[in-house]
Amino acid sequence: MGVYGLFLVSGLAVGALYALGGVGLVLLNRATGVLNFAYGAIGALGAMSAWQVLQWGYPEPLAWVVCLAIGVALSTGYGVLIAPGLAHREPVVKAVATLGFGIAILGAMNLLWVVNPRKLTLALDSVSLNILGLRMTGTRLLALSAGIAITAGMGIFLARTRLGLMMRTLADDRQLAAVLGTPIRKVETIAWGFSGFLAAVTGMLFGDLVRLDPAVLTFIVIPIIATTVVGRLTSIKVTFLAGLVIGIIESFLTLYKPLAPFRVASPFIVAILVLMWLQRGRRLTFAGAD
Amino acid sequence: MELASSMSRSNDETVGRHGLPVFWPALLMFVVAIVLPMVAAALWLKVMTSVVIYALTAASIALLYRKLGQVSLAQVAFMGCGGWVALRLAHGTTLPFELSILAGGVFAAVVGMIFAYPALRMRGLYLALVTLMAAGGFGILVNVTQFPNGGDGFMGFAVKSVSYMPRPLLAQSDAAYFRYCIAVVFLGFGLITLHERGKPGRAWSLIRKSEAAAMAVGINVTGYKIWGFALSGFLAGVAGGLLAGNLQLLDARSFPPAESVMIFALTIVGGAWHWYGAVIAALLYRFVPALLNDVGISGDAAYIIFGAALIHALMTAPRGIAGQLTDLVSRLASGRREGR
Repeated sequence: MGVYGLFLVSGLAVGALYALGGVGLVLLNRATGVLNFAYGAIGALGAMSAWQVLQWGYPEPLAWVVCLAIGVALSTGYGVLIAPGLAHREPVVKAVATLGFGIAILGAMNLLWVVNPRKLTLALDSVSLNILGLRMTGTRLLALSAGIAITAGMGIFLARTRLGLMMRTLADDRQLAAVLGTPIRKVETIAWGFSGFLAAVTGMLFGDLVRLDPAVLTFIVIPIIATTVVGRLTSIKVTFLAGLVIGIIESFLTLYKPLAPFRVASPFIVAILVLMWLQRGRRLTFAGAD
Repeated sequence: MELASSMSRSNDETVGRHGLPVFWPALLMFVVAIVLPMVAAALWLKVMTSVVIYALTAASIALLYRKLGQVSLAQVAFMGCGGWVALRLAHGTTLPFELSILAGGVFAAVVGMIFAYPALRMRGLYLALVTLMAAGGFGILVNVTQFPNGGDGFMGFAVKSVSYMPRPLLAQSDAAYFRYCIAVVFLGFGLITLHERGKPGRAWSLIRKSEAAAMAVGINVTGYKIWGFALSGFLAGVAGGLLAGNLQLLDARSFPPAESVMIFALTIVGGAWHWYGAVIAALLYRFVPALLNDVGISGDAAYIIFGAALIHALMTAPRGIAGQLTDLVSRLASGRREGR
């Protein structure tokens, strides 16, 4: 295994983070029709607050609680207060509106925390496991296992539970779902809350594994969106796999010197190619919706 | 006399709805070009020059949004393309400045045409995502290659080299360059107006309504779509060349996708349906943060306002600040007329 194994492990960890973020985005998009550009910003504010709590000397579990609570609160707040006002608009307008939310959160973070190098260290960083001769830190393991668990869990949840069924009907046709008596607002609020929860987990782990910086974490949403694009913004399974594959490609490109500096562009290139391939042969002549 | 003035006013109003009135913007730009360099300090003149340049970028975003209903989140990347070519030519050849930025614009237009290819297959959110991904890719590409700064080789970048891009012969000083930019941007706005009032504008409007209908009346849908993207890319590319001339070099770090996203958001806030919406967007983008910093408030405070303003604009004022101003003016004007 040797050096390849090392890169595989680090690629899997980053990929699992992309995947985890992507799953939260897809879930929200399926239930509400909103592609949330503020996803990164929500996670960033959660991670920054967790860092602050740790700086004040409180124990780490409290930091996690604060981070997750902020994620859920911000996301649900937007879902309850602002999203319904735009529910009847086209998808791109809804997406752009979340952009406004993200920008506002980023501004608030830059006001609260002056740009400075910071480091988020979690207790799991010092724990490590040896698997097949590969050393994996606890945080990376957590990212990977959380990704797998949540993807599998979401799949079962959407397929088997009543709430999942309601989310799927909403995704297909909001108005028809309303006629059938689906409690739209309730289902949507739950989706916003859960997506905010995932955003906070993703933000926290990114802050630990990659970099803790409000702007970086806010715009990490762009590569995450790239992974969801591969799953056509609807398939949780494909999104998860795309996240892992993109993470591994990114990691292995480090080994090939001429392309190494460009490796961070791999989510974008993969997304564009896949999108073009998925839309091949399509004409817009009689296209109604997007 | 009164009849004549009210007639000209109503004429102005109809023009304002369908295209852009030409006389008032021209006069306003002329006055600003003369007066501002006389009163503004050196630092503010630089800020205002970049406001003028970004107004052209915002206008190129507004053109796609208003006419074709497309969201382009890659406009700052187009600026980067144009700026790169303009800088490369300025360092590598002795072409006049005008030709350099024109070449930059043409290159960005070609890149824009490539973007039109996905736009033939998809629109709305998916197209916005493609442009966003491309902007992300460009940000990384340019961070690796850097902008030419007089170094050797095709890429023209050297770590230690600091040669500056020569400015046009007509406009060596900051004040003259400010006026030069106003002139170029005015021509750019004129180009948009010309298109909107002519055949392309009508074709775009119909394509936006229904591609099937446009095709039925014999409009070359593919051609006009590509043309729209090319024009938008051209304008942004020229703006990139002008930006290179303003600072006389470009920093790769100022072209991340985040900037494209930001200027798009502000274009919506400023108002995509009026020519001065683009100017308001550019003022918000470059002038307001500088002003806040100047009075001792962090420019980041502006972000909070921008974000809220974007949501507000989308929910209640789809034509942005410019639309609200126009409504206000016309309401005041009609109130005065009734009062008489």
